[in-house]
Amino acid sequence: MSVSPASPSPAMRRAWMAVLARTPRAELEAAFNRALDGIAAPAFDWLRPPETGLAMVRGRIGGTGDAFNLGEATVTRATLRLREPGGNAPVGVACHLGRDRRRAELAALADALLQVPEQHPGLHAQLIEPLAARIAAQRTARQQDAAATRVEFFTMVRGD
Amino acid sequence: MNDSQIALSALTPGFTDPVHDTQAVFRTLLDALSRPGTVGVVVAALPAAGGTATSGAAGTRSNVDLAAFASLLTLCDYSTPVWLAQPDAVLGSSLRFHTGAPLVANAHEAAFAYIHDADTLPPLATFALGEAEAPEHSATLLIRVDALTGGTPVALRGPGIERTTTIAPLGLPKRFWAERAELAPLFPCGIDCYLVSGDALIGLPRTTHVEVN
Repeated sequence: MSVSPASPSPAMRRAWMAVLARTPRAELEAAFNRALDGIAAPAFDWLRPPETGLAMVRGRIGGTGDAFNLGEATVTRATLRLREPGGNAPVGVACHLGRDRRRAELAALADALLQVPEQHPGLHAQLIEPLAARIAAQRTARQQDAAATRVEFFTMVRGD
Repeated sequence: MNDSQIALSALTPGFTDPVHDTQAVFRTLLDALSRPGTVGVVVAALPAAGGTATSGAAGTRSNVDLAAFASLLTLCDYSTPVWLAQPDAVLGSSLRFHTGAPLVANAHEAAFAYIHDADTLPPLATFALGEAEAPEHSATLLIRVDALTGGTPVALRGPGIERTTTIAPLGLPKRFWAERAELAPLFPCGIDCYLVSGDALIGLPRTTHVEVN
């Protein structure tokens, strides 16, 4: 967003933030420790310490109807900035369902580190890719489960 | 102005403990407005901007208008449009990020206005004065002055002051008092002001009568 010329595209950042937002805390912590193996956790300043609140979830039937308020969901968000010399320190943002502050902290830190060009390849390979693969596997399994119970409705054409 | 992206790398941190810090600042603001002329000091735990990755210029600026920034963080939310006399990317982004308050280009639409330099204060009548049915829909101004003492003394009378009290803000243009006096007959409509300097502020509610010596 505002890092160096080599900063990742918004689409890439969106993809890894989506992965981080869907990962439970235990997995995130384990993967983060593995990825940061031997390196001290980087220093950062909170721009917005983790806070829990409500967000209105809006829905739309069939993708064509008017949007309506579905209900409120508990979300936790956090924003931090890495402590780096120079005015262009990366800013990490996290927002996920639930009330786990530590998880928001880890996700925001991972988001900030992924924007650092030197850290990006290693962190992406060790942190994001395994988690993304796991999410994809879970999704495929659910889809296959659901597909097994699928019922085809059809009407016989009567008459000639 | 509204649609521009918030410059995340330029943000200054907000309160470390938002709930209790905003309560403390709100109490200071309330006391200052109910006892016009007394100097309130904002003892907010705002992390020093100079210690972070932001440039040194941002850090010094943040200390100069500490009271104003803390007040705006306390008072503003998504329903209170803010007008800044001078476009300030750091302050504007920080306000939008921490409070969600929209920045407006038109002074008349603002619920809160921050004037960095008292000399550039537009005529007071350009701000929202409220209506007879809804006098609370008026603007509150935060005017930065060079110092809260050492200027031309003026005497204050009115609710919250037993007899008279004297303040001597430095760097406030003389026309301010005249324009303020012109609005007095419109009561209950009018404008509430805070004179801010560093971490200190003086409240000047619309009910206070001012005599310039």
